[in-house]
Amino acid sequence: MNRDDLALWALRLRVMLGKELRQLLRDRVLLAFIVYAFSVDIFLAASGVSLQLNRAATLVQDFDHSTASRELSSRFVSPYFRVDGQISHDSEAQARLDDGRAMLALTIPPGFQADLQRGQPTAVQLQVDATNSVLGFLASSYASLITSRFGLEQAASALGASGAALPVIDNQVRVWFNPNQLDSWFMGITELLNIVTVFSILLPAAAMVREKERGTVEQLLVSPLSPFQIVFPKVLAMTLVIVLGSALALFGVLQLGFAVPVRGSAVLFLLLTALYVFTTAGLGLAAATLARNLAQVGMLSILILAPMIFLSGAWTPPEAMPAWLRALTYLSPMHYYIDAAFGVLLKGQGALELWRSLLGMTLIGVTVFVWGLRRVRMG
Amino acid sequence: MSELPPLIAARGLVKRYGATLAVNALDLNVARGELFGLIGPDGAGKSSVMKAIAGVLTFDGGELAVFGQSLVSDAACEAAKARLGLMPQGLGQNLYADLSVEENLDFFARLRLVPPDVAAARKDKLLEMTRLARFRQRPMKNLSGGMKQKLGLVCTLIHAPELVILDEPTTGVDPVSRRDFWAILAELLAEEQMTALVSTAYMDEASRFHRVALMHAGQALAVGRPSELLAHAPGCMVTVHTEAQWPALAALRPQFAQLGALGNALQVYADGGDEAQALAAVDACLRPVLAADSYQLEAGEPELEDVFIAMLRQRGERLPDSQALTAAAPARASGGEPVIEARALTRDFAEFRAVDAVSFQVQPGEIFGLLGANGAGKTTVIKMLTGILPPSSGVGRVAGVDMRGAGRAIKERIGYMSQAFSLYLDLTVSENIRLYAGIYGLNRARTQARLDWIVDMAGLHGFEDALAASLPMGLRQRLALGCALVHQPQVLFLDEPTSGVDPLGRRQFWDILFTLARRDGVALLVTTHAMSEAEHCDHLALMFAGRLVADASPAAMKRELTAQRGPLWDIRCADPTAALARLRAAGVAASAYGNRLHLFAREDELNARVRPLLGADARCQLRPVSMEDVFVERVTALEAEKPV
Repeated sequence: MNRDDLALWALRLRVMLGKELRQLLRDRVLLAFIVYAFSVDIFLAASGVSLQLNRAATLVQDFDHSTASRELSSRFVSPYFRVDGQISHDSEAQARLDDGRAMLALTIPPGFQADLQRGQPTAVQLQVDATNSVLGFLASSYASLITSRFGLEQAASALGASGAALPVIDNQVRVWFNPNQLDSWFMGITELLNIVTVFSILLPAAAMVREKERGTVEQLLVSPLSPFQIVFPKVLAMTLVIVLGSALALFGVLQLGFAVPVRGSAVLFLLLTALYVFTTAGLGLAAATLARNLAQVGMLSILILAPMIFLSGAWTPPEAMPAWLRALTYLSPMHYYIDAAFGVLLKGQGALELWRSLLGMTLIGVTVFVWGLRRVRMG
Repeated sequence: MSELPPLIAARGLVKRYGATLAVNALDLNVARGELFGLIGPDGAGKSSVMKAIAGVLTFDGGELAVFGQSLVSDAACEAAKARLGLMPQGLGQNLYADLSVEENLDFFARLRLVPPDVAAARKDKLLEMTRLARFRQRPMKNLSGGMKQKLGLVCTLIHAPELVILDEPTTGVDPVSRRDFWAILAELLAEEQMTALVSTAYMDEASRFHRVALMHAGQALAVGRPSELLAHAPGCMVTVHTEAQWPALAALRPQFAQLGALGNALQVYADGGDEAQALAAVDACLRPVLAADSYQLEAGEPELEDVFIAMLRQRGERLPDSQALTAAAPARASGGEPVIEARALTRDFAEFRAVDAVSFQVQPGEIFGLLGANGAGKTTVIKMLTGILPPSSGVGRVAGVDMRGAGRAIKERIGYMSQAFSLYLDLTVSENIRLYAGIYGLNRARTQARLDWIVDMAGLHGFEDALAASLPMGLRQRLALGCALVHQPQVLFLDEPTSGVDPLGRRQFWDILFTLARRDGVALLVTTHAMSEAEHCDHLALMFAGRLVADASPAAMKRELTAQRGPLWDIRCADPTAALARLRAAGVAASAYGNRLHLFAREDELNARVRPLLGADARCQLRPVSMEDVFVERVTALEAEKPV
């Protein structure tokens, strides 16, 4: 390529890029949507969504009416539990669990304290509403923790009276990267990555399908522009917008509002985002070649996004998936992006430690982009 | 009819959309049994008037009574709605795409509470008349444009309304289906004693109505019988046949405000109805510049479109000043090697052959028209010649280069304007132009020069910073043309470039095309299904079902038709419906045309076979053959050979 060709290339890139950015800036509705998604939406996700058990309504059916039974039930307290009253009939427990007014029902049998004092094994019953499997799991585990600790203390005090020592393992936990285990960090960052993914597919797809709807794409195909020259400025413009949005969300919302640390390089994170958007855009371009209008491209995008986000490990860790699904996660470009993004933001990883994610993202991304471009070329 | 109160009576009707005055103090009377036409360009207020009459749009002032009932309340509107049928604008807009013909009809019958036995009988009759009976089970989306419109009409008529309101039923429909539609409508109205209010943007459809209101800017410029309208701005049309079109145009321009090029001829509109005077006036302009034997003059009756423009001119409307036409003499000589050449061009889409061995040539400076109904393959031909679509076989050459795998270099010599005026509506006029200038690699100085030229050519002064979306259709179209011309191509492809543009805009557009061809030697390939535009072309090729079935000049095509079938007769008689039935029974191909009949026949044939069937009062007049007649006759003949 000689100098003139290069100058022509640059001129075409400049006018096309200018056109894309102007069009985007004049689309007030889309612009408002982008700003909303990168600010309010992430704020809501970070402040509102929690995976914690929060003051679960607990019913106590105490047949023992003893010190020990009162002691045990009094341990079901905030922040995880809240005792919502005493009941006297089994049917009442069932009814309140059924209509959702209670999540747990603890039944303490008669003779509970007597058994403990005699050093006999005893049992309590806990009924848990596990409609929400995560919360159900948390409730039953916390509850067993409470009862076993209570049992241990009872046993220790009994043994202490006899003077023998009890072998106890003191589990010293160090929580790294998110020491207070704040959901706002995890949820905020996850939501940001989701939004980046949504827009990296939706924006180029919408821009492309709009050209198709108005017939302008034919005008461009008849011109000396190559398909790459038509598509590249679009993707570049969208990448720019999404990276700007991500910076707004990261610094303006997550850092300012929730003190999310940026332990690695923020520039590296934004560069990662740019690479990710650029390569994922191919999916949007391919969707645009299949769709006839904006509504169709919107629906197609949802179809693409759902498995992509599901397989990314954003909502369920890949480790928790069956083996065959876990293998598929390697096909979701978002999987690599999430690994890398959390790595940079919370773990402070650098480019060297991220090479695996970078490579995966680049390989899948370039394949997808070339495929999308080919589809555009074939019209 | 005059003693009965009018079926529709509007006094000072006003409708506003925000600050825009869509209907401006309109007065209108439609009598019972009339086929009344609202004719005017887009944005003249036709749809608003029709919707107000149908009781589906509130109005802001004036009085409106339908069936003698004033439409003041919702209750009054509802009462009127039961007695009328409205077909909205847009192909098949009131129909359900996935339902079959029969299901659509049944739905409307039930919606209108037509008793099942009545509905069944009516359905049979209407489907029979519209020749849709064969397609009862076909989903509506698989019907052709013309068939969709017919089905729309049938659905509108299922409850036997007293008044039907049809909003631009023929827009976007090919000429053959359009004629068919009009013929069916005329027959139905006569048989059912219905009143119809129909709008159209095609001026040449005026003669199909009993009475017409010529609409412009929310007002009626003139109301009357089609024949009377011409008297509102008396004038006559002088046709100048000459080789030296360019000097003739320059000589006539200062004297005549309304003139245009039509293929190899010029058309001059002279005010005042006196033909001899008009001829003399034109002759006086031409004599000093042209040799006496190098031109011939011919005077005739103007078309309604000419009269419409004359009316606007006389009202002091700003007419488009096609400065391009007054510019300098031709820079490039025409003739020589063909610049566009199609050789056995073929394109298959799966099982379907869209274009079948099409061959033609276009010379520099020539305006070549590709005619055909929707789906005849015109757009596919253009896409192959512009390199958007590779041909399945055959060769398309432009400027000597095969467009299959054409390099970027050749693309810089081609201009293309697509059906939809592919502009970026969210960019301004100058941003659109600069974008294309950049794409074609124009430097800063040349970009500015071309920008100025385009703004000048398209009459866009003062609109440079306006968004393309805010421009009226005519300006948008010329901006699109400007963008297609930004790099001064030698070859220009135009795919249905004037759909949706009003007559004024269309004229100006054709003036520009003419200048491009004649002065700059650009080769133009235009597709159209507006037959009045076909007359502008030097050469025409007619496409039917993917094949090229005729290739000649417009005049030659007309001559060929009259040589085969005899001249065209316009027949007035007392009872045209009965006469038409008698003619058809006798095997004479005739069609209803408003309240008259049209047929082709040699004079001896007319006297021997036709006159006896018409009655003593019938008057037969010769009528000039239009391109539409040629198109319809040829396509009808072809369809008879090979049913679609």
